[in-house]
Amino acid sequence: MTAKYGWFLLAPPLATVCVLFVVPVVYLFWVSLHAPSTSELYAASLTLHNYVDLLRDSFYLTIIGRTLGVAAVILGLCLVIGYPVAYFVAVLPPRRRMLALLLLLFPLMVSNVVRAYGWVALLERQGVVNTTLRDLRWIDAPLDLLYTPSAVVVALMTILLPYMVISIANTLAALDRRYEEAAQALGASPLRTFVHVTLPLSTPGIASGTLLVFLLTLSAYVTITLLGGPRSKLLVSMIYDSVTAFQWPRAAALAFVLLALALVFTALIVALLRPGRVQGTAR
Amino acid sequence: MTGSSRAGAAIRGVATIVAFALIVFPILIVVVAAFSPNDYFQFPPPGFSLRWFAEFFGLENMRSAFALSVELALASATIATVLGTLAALFLARRRGAIGALLQSLFLAPLVFPTIILGVALLLLYKTIGMPVFAGLLLAHCVVGMPYGFRTVLASAQALDPALEEAGQSLGAGPLRTLFLVTLPLIWPGVLSGWLFAFIVSFGELNTALFLTGPGLTTLPIEIFSYLQFQGSQLVIAAASTVQIALIVILVAVIERVVGLARITRAR
Repeated sequence: MTAKYGWFLLAPPLATVCVLFVVPVVYLFWVSLHAPSTSELYAASLTLHNYVDLLRDSFYLTIIGRTLGVAAVILGLCLVIGYPVAYFVAVLPPRRRMLALLLLLFPLMVSNVVRAYGWVALLERQGVVNTTLRDLRWIDAPLDLLYTPSAVVVALMTILLPYMVISIANTLAALDRRYEEAAQALGASPLRTFVHVTLPLSTPGIASGTLLVFLLTLSAYVTITLLGGPRSKLLVSMIYDSVTAFQWPRAAALAFVLLALALVFTALIVALLRPGRVQGTAR
Repeated sequence: MTGSSRAGAAIRGVATIVAFALIVFPILIVVVAAFSPNDYFQFPPPGFSLRWFAEFFGLENMRSAFALSVELALASATIATVLGTLAALFLARRRGAIGALLQSLFLAPLVFPTIILGVALLLLYKTIGMPVFAGLLLAHCVVGMPYGFRTVLASAQALDPALEEAGQSLGAGPLRTLFLVTLPLIWPGVLSGWLFAFIVSFGELNTALFLTGPGLTTLPIEIFSYLQFQGSQLVIAAASTVQIALIVILVAVIERVVGLARITRAR
């Protein structure tokens, strides 16, 4: 049916994606290749200086390193906590599994600024954690929990954890249980069965959860700002600061450094975990 | 699971309790704090009051931010779902390299770092002189479109093509077939796509961060700037609870109209 008037269906959405997604991103790249200007958005001359300056500046390299470090810790925690939870959810009976997935999905629908504020209310000097510890007489003076890299890690990890759990749980729930039964019937211990059968078969879920968590960590400006404060800035904070300082070419170059990190990481995960290979054989 | 060890079961149980506590508790705290009678949040709360909600709706900034967020979500979800539905109908039966390429193009805004999209749109808008409201609306459309596209695509692919062919062989033109056969059959996908696009727009931060202007701020951005410049006061808890309540209502609507299974499968 669609073939008869197909191109009329395609034209509006395709035009939207091109004009409001492809064009602005290409334009941003174009701006990143120009010198800054005080009167215009960018100067006329083409240059690679924005990138060269960033990658030579130890300040930005430190920020990039810190960004990758924070992302790595969040990713590690999400995997270590998320995998057993996903397993727990995956083996529930269907109706209960659906409710568990809904309970994981609901927080993802609440705006991240609200979820970050929940952590601020817990961790600030007059927050729930400090007042509770004081009432229990475990501490005399409030602890400085907010505005630390750990606060960013804990809050962002819990905000993104449902993505990891849902991704892995969906793969595990679709997995054919007979593979595990076969391994055990052949004498493999539960641990061996897990390491050699279940874990490899769940790599598609691990890969998609890992990618989601990493990509969302990179652009989580609001959470990073509210919990990290001015001292724990990450790459995304630098993009925002450059924009508010009207340094358009620098902001553009930083944005593409962030995009490059995202692309390299995606390529790495796909090459290492090869999720497509598993999907072909597991079903 | 058949042969898993007792230790494995214990690890899974503990991890699940810890994870759900860490995920749910910060949201619960916000809701509890919103009903606090005091100037400062005490836990456990000493009483119950609606004063912070009164304060929230009494603040001009907050009220207009809430109104703008609802307007934007309604309009952008509608536009995004119409566009997503068109794309999904086009791609539902198409195989091959071009189909796959178009599909990833339509889904790309889902995984593309939205902060970059925000900066890119801001620069484009500055260059062409886009008004603030239109700019925000279009940005929310781009962010919401993949949700409409994805849910409708799933519905359209599950559709039996014989039904559309039957409509056409009985003399219905393509448009009549679309409105009398195809749309009535895929409407659960269309509706849940719309609701997802609404929810995404209503909580959107990363593009709105750059695209809101003086006097035109969305609720999430208003909450963010209030937290940054005036500290965490309980009116923020009330604003957040309003945000949460609206999503609870929407999820209940999805459950009623299209069923829970569609929500948990949609992601």
